[in-house]
Amino acid sequence: MLPFPRTPATAASLRQLLQDRFPEKARPSGGEILTGVAAIDEALGGGLPARRVTELVSAGPSTGGQSVLARLLASTRAARQRVALVDGADAFDPSCVAPDTLPHLVWVRIRGIGEALAAADILVRDGNYAAVAIDLRGIAATALRQVPATLWYRLQRATEDGVSAVLIQTEFPLISSAACRLLLPTPFSLDAAGCAPCARLAAELPAILNRTRGRAPIHGAPPHEEEAVA
Amino acid sequence: MSAPAVEMPRFAALRLPDFRLQAVRRSDPSLAGKPVALILGAGRTSMVAEASPEAGGLEPGCPAILAVARCPALILRERDVEAEVEAQRLLIAAAFTLSPRVEATEGGLCTIDLQGAASLATAAGLRAAGLALARSGLDLRAGLAPTPLLASYAALRTGPSAVLIVDDAPSFLAPLPLAFAAPSPACAALLARWGIATLGGLTALPKAGIAGRLGSVGVALWERAAGETTRPLRLVEPARTFAAEWRYEPPVETLDPLFFKLRRYAERLALELQGAGMVADALALTLLLENGAEHRREFRLPEPCGDPDPWMRILHAHLETVRTPARIASARLVASPARPPQKQDGLFDTGLTDPHAFWENLARLAAVVGEDRVGTPARLDTHRPDSFELRRPAETVPPVTEQAVHPECGPALRRFRPPWPVRVAFADERPSRLEGECLRGAVRTARGPWHLSGEWWRPEAWAVEFWHIEMEGGGLYQIGRTQDTWRVEGMLD
Repeated sequence: MLPFPRTPATAASLRQLLQDRFPEKARPSGGEILTGVAAIDEALGGGLPARRVTELVSAGPSTGGQSVLARLLASTRAARQRVALVDGADAFDPSCVAPDTLPHLVWVRIRGIGEALAAADILVRDGNYAAVAIDLRGIAATALRQVPATLWYRLQRATEDGVSAVLIQTEFPLISSAACRLLLPTPFSLDAAGCAPCARLAAELPAILNRTRGRAPIHGAPPHEEEAVA
Repeated sequence: MSAPAVEMPRFAALRLPDFRLQAVRRSDPSLAGKPVALILGAGRTSMVAEASPEAGGLEPGCPAILAVARCPALILRERDVEAEVEAQRLLIAAAFTLSPRVEATEGGLCTIDLQGAASLATAAGLRAAGLALARSGLDLRAGLAPTPLLASYAALRTGPSAVLIVDDAPSFLAPLPLAFAAPSPACAALLARWGIATLGGLTALPKAGIAGRLGSVGVALWERAAGETTRPLRLVEPARTFAAEWRYEPPVETLDPLFFKLRRYAERLALELQGAGMVADALALTLLLENGAEHRREFRLPEPCGDPDPWMRILHAHLETVRTPARIASARLVASPARPPQKQDGLFDTGLTDPHAFWENLARLAAVVGEDRVGTPARLDTHRPDSFELRRPAETVPPVTEQAVHPECGPALRRFRPPWPVRVAFADERPSRLEGECLRGAVRTARGPWHLSGEWWRPEAWAVEFWHIEMEGGGLYQIGRTQDTWRVEGMLD
């Protein structure tokens, strides 16, 4: 049995004592948000960095972007962290994830880039979400390219002032202000992925760190912009 | 001069100096920081009754014409009875936050019986009431004393936004001008001829001598000057309903004047609720339009609260999206009272960090995308594809109760809403080619079919056959057939 100090000096010491005694109950620190996809978590040094914008580019159809989202929901649900999804093409299907992986999700069903940007701006400033996923896939490329870069920088600054890890899913590199950019290069094949458990698919999903920029708290990443070609 | 024999009960007086002018300035945002004078009378006989400090020290009684000559930028305003009633209600509401025994002594003056109240709590409460009224655009001055009369003198004597506590009545009264005791003009003139200008000067004279020379009027004046007069308070009842209604003359068509008054009345309702020990759990806003139509909306607050700021943010988020067919002639705001929430968070609870921000932002999101498009998804108890509902998000993320019996398999479906119409060619009873506006090409691999059906006992019975296919050019899709129509339901991603 652990020795019990007679007079815990502060609330912090009491909290530490409880964490030592009940490590399984302790809340994660919130520095990184685990996505549950091994390749992405490793590339980012432990998960989506809080207060940073991460761009996930799906290089083609069926490269796993929606499965990443499903794993992120499962992972944050296990940690009891709240998640918001700005669904740019209204494409999320609640039936593709287990029912118990939904209670922590706030789903915003969007029609168009204007609504998506407005909703994202509100959510990243909220302070109650561990992660905000913004899915811009399915929105016309012309509309996305017309978004001024200043809006992405505005989103970046709002993210840095907040607490959430922001994941933006795109079909092509778009977010100039993203701290990290990951690429999902390989499409699934029906024979290999058709009946495989989602967890195994996520474990085997390849992801390439395409860019790190600025002050992203990635372990071992340089503090300046670095472009890497996949 | 004699001091009151006992210190208790103690009384507080809340005074709004230049009450009528303050009420006018509070109801009109355009007067902020400008020289304003309240005039009484009409035409050439109109005189300044009260003037703001920006007017450069205009004295009451100054003819309006002369006042304008001395201060060319002076804005002249007449009394606004509606604004005075509202300011008085706000003052009474602030008084009820200190004690349930409140007297509305006169316009701009409330007297409070503080018997039994802790002095520290009273001092803090007075400061809080002063701050609340200052936020509402009113300058409160307060006095604490053993009698109502002394308290009202203290509130008259003290400086802006300050509380004066009278512990030693004789030394407090002695230097006060004689006008504090409100002598009649004849008495004031006579006493001035005697060289008496202060309350101390009057009470230095024997009471019997004053009675002999000035009669009962003089005795009453002497007692008021000595602070001896005490009386029972004429108590008023606290608010039972929390509603405010106001008119716009002329009707308004922009949001700014609407928000301005909305905030003013919300502040009063919040104070009334606070005085009753309650908070609001819902708001009802009714806008009566010029054409007789009515726009009514009820807002259920995410968490009962008595702070007008979150109320205003919720109202703001809604009103920004409202377009009315005619101008707004009047408005009504009703707050539903509720007991304040009292709860202790669990040690390992994962509740909301900032509940107000969370619910306000949800309201803002609903204003942006529509109320039916924000929420926490929950599957419906059916196998029908794409069946779900959006529910109000939970305040606390519950712990994971059990693992799924059948883990999800295959890539997640990215659903196309609406599905893409497509023509499907078959070879060997399997899809071999798709022809559609959004997707076309040869099918490399196909798995299926799977059949789902339900509600066959109802007119809206449904049945669907679906396949998973991989296109030659890459990409996994789910296609489905309903009756004889094929659609691409989504991408397996």
